[in-house]
Amino acid sequence: MLGPAIAWYLVVGSAIFAIGAAGVMLRRNPLIMLLSLELMLNGANLVLIAFARLHNSPGGQVFALAVMAVAAAEVVVGLGLVVAMARRKIEIDVDLLSRLRK
Amino acid sequence: MSASSHVIAAAAWVCLLAPLAAVLAIALGGNRMPRRAAGYLATSSTLIAFAAAVTALLATLGHTAGNRRTITTAFGLIETHTLQIKLNLLVDPLALVMMLVVSGVGTLIVAYSIGYMKGEDEKRRYFAYMAFFVFSMLLLVEAANFFVLLVGWGLVGLSSYLLIGFWHERPSAVAAAKKAFIINAVGDAAMALALFLLVQHAGTLDFYGAGGVFKQAVSLGGNTWLINIVAAGLLVGALAKSAQIPLHTWLPDAMEGPTPVSALIHAATMVTAGVYLIVRAHPLFEQAVHVQQTAAGIGAVTLLAAGAIALVQTDIKRVIAYSTMSQIGYMFLAAGIGAYSAAMFHLVTHAFFKALLFLAAGVVIHALDGEQDMRKMGGLRKKMPRTFIAMLIGAGALAGLPPLAGFFSKDAILATADSGGVYDKMLLTAGIVGVLLTALYSFRLVFLVFGGEQSESARKQLAKHRGPEGPRWMTVPVAVLAVLAVVGGWLEIAGLWHPFSRFLAVVAPSIAAEPGATREWLLSAVSLGIALGGIWIAWSIYSARTQQAPKAPRALVEKLYFDRAYDLLFYRPAVWLADRLESWFERPLIERSGEEMASGTVIGGRFAAAIQNGLARSYVLLVAAGVSVIVLLFLVLR
Repeated sequence: MLGPAIAWYLVVGSAIFAIGAAGVMLRRNPLIMLLSLELMLNGANLVLIAFARLHNSPGGQVFALAVMAVAAAEVVVGLGLVVAMARRKIEIDVDLLSRLRK
Repeated sequence: MSASSHVIAAAAWVCLLAPLAAVLAIALGGNRMPRRAAGYLATSSTLIAFAAAVTALLATLGHTAGNRRTITTAFGLIETHTLQIKLNLLVDPLALVMMLVVSGVGTLIVAYSIGYMKGEDEKRRYFAYMAFFVFSMLLLVEAANFFVLLVGWGLVGLSSYLLIGFWHERPSAVAAAKKAFIINAVGDAAMALALFLLVQHAGTLDFYGAGGVFKQAVSLGGNTWLINIVAAGLLVGALAKSAQIPLHTWLPDAMEGPTPVSALIHAATMVTAGVYLIVRAHPLFEQAVHVQQTAAGIGAVTLLAAGAIALVQTDIKRVIAYSTMSQIGYMFLAAGIGAYSAAMFHLVTHAFFKALLFLAAGVVIHALDGEQDMRKMGGLRKKMPRTFIAMLIGAGALAGLPPLAGFFSKDAILATADSGGVYDKMLLTAGIVGVLLTALYSFRLVFLVFGGEQSESARKQLAKHRGPEGPRWMTVPVAVLAVLAVVGGWLEIAGLWHPFSRFLAVVAPSIAAEPGATREWLLSAVSLGIALGGIWIAWSIYSARTQQAPKAPRALVEKLYFDRAYDLLFYRPAVWLADRLESWFERPLIERSGEEMASGTVIGGRFAAAIQNGLARSYVLLVAAGVSVIVLLFLVLR
């Protein structure tokens, strides 16, 4: 197998995932939350591809491609929402967006 | 298959399906079909069935005695590796006799209904049910295996329920219908259990054929326990359908239906099914000797009890109803001692004279605008001479006067009972006492209704009608049946002429010993003397005035307390149990638990609503927490 041992990939992937998760949970700006979500997805992708290389099977790569497609779709919707909020001059803060609850 | 076998098979299907086609046509036609047309359709369909039965008879007679069984298969109903049940019909001498009686007498009764039910609003429903009844009975008698027989058996019960409860606005009619259905369901269940055992141990329900049930009867008989249970189950089914003690209580109540329905139930269809079953399944019964003897004993008890109860009934139809029970008792007695052709012979003649009695009684009831109490009748002889003659022929045939039908058939039964051991002698005694009772109650009816002076109410009712004996639709069937009740007995004359028993012998050879001719004539003379004595007693008590009649014993008026006993034994405990279940389980457990579930859901909903705070980040936190818990669980439990 080429490159460093699998553990390194896992460490980097988990780190990216954790940074993303913290961002989603702590930040209130939806734009940043979307960025963080992308980080989480890509952390997972990195692990998937690493394992695909390790086992020399294409399954992981296929999954990673599927995740990218989902991510793209999600970003389209998410950014659409953010743009809609900006158009309406709503303050960009997810905690204020709880009207549907009432 | 020869050409005539094809004819027989086709005739069997036409015979079965013609009444069903009429049912469907009337049911689907609905309001578009005139009421009158429904009656004509039902009558002609049963007539077609009769014509088909005659065709099948003629074609069968063309075969030699050993080849008179035709089985025709439509398609498989249940087909597995171990069990094959097909929808197949059977035409053999026994089935032919039943087909002819069911469709022939049925046609006369349905035709009579056209006159009797005139002015009835729900004629279409009535005629559809009547044709359905005939169809069900034909299915029962044409079945070539126990499964199809059981289907017909159940459908007969259903159609009797529908017809007894035809006047559904009367609570008593509805109650009687339910009673008939429930008691028949008891019999059906017993029979179904017997059939399950047959499926398990014989692996088939076919009557005949290489692996048929009857071929296996002897090997099944090796298992005494099994064959007795099977025979007993079939017997209970037969008892319920044929209204024998102790499952007879539905029959008198069934008089709540219109009179032609009573005639149909009593003469052509339904109650004869039990006798048919015993004769058809005789190979099984012969292996279970004690069960078969029980059948004979029950027949003897029933013929005495029903004959005694008939003596004190005041409702004209109920007298005839109890007389049916009594006469079916004779048939059970004969079938129980193995005199199958005698049982079937009495079944045929009974169908003629019992239909005649009911239809003649229907003419009387029709003329008196629904009056059924014999104490309010009397002196109808002058106004209704033709009905009087018809009733006289019917009563004479019932009492066993020569040369009327009942004389020959009843004597055939008594003669075979004469030749056996002690048990048979007891049965014979019962049969002879039954002759006395029969003569007594049948002529009591005749004298009460037609003899003496006209009562005030009867005179008033009769004055309203121009022709009190009803339209031609009613008088013609009565006349035909009167002729049949005279000549029907000549099918078989002891010592001279035995075409009927010879015809049946292929299916059900009699196992009872043949009596000597001298003894048989002697016995005939004795029973005739007893019958004449009974008529003389009836004449001396009832011919003059109703009021002089001796007071009826209470036990007989109460119908030997059967209804009361069943009320105490089954009805009240069931109601008590239902009440207790309501107060102990229904209310505290089931009703309350509904309320508890509702309030529990509300509380749970409030709790779940608190989590839904609308803050996206808290949802994320919860998801993360959940995932962490799952991951931790995996790590710990691995």
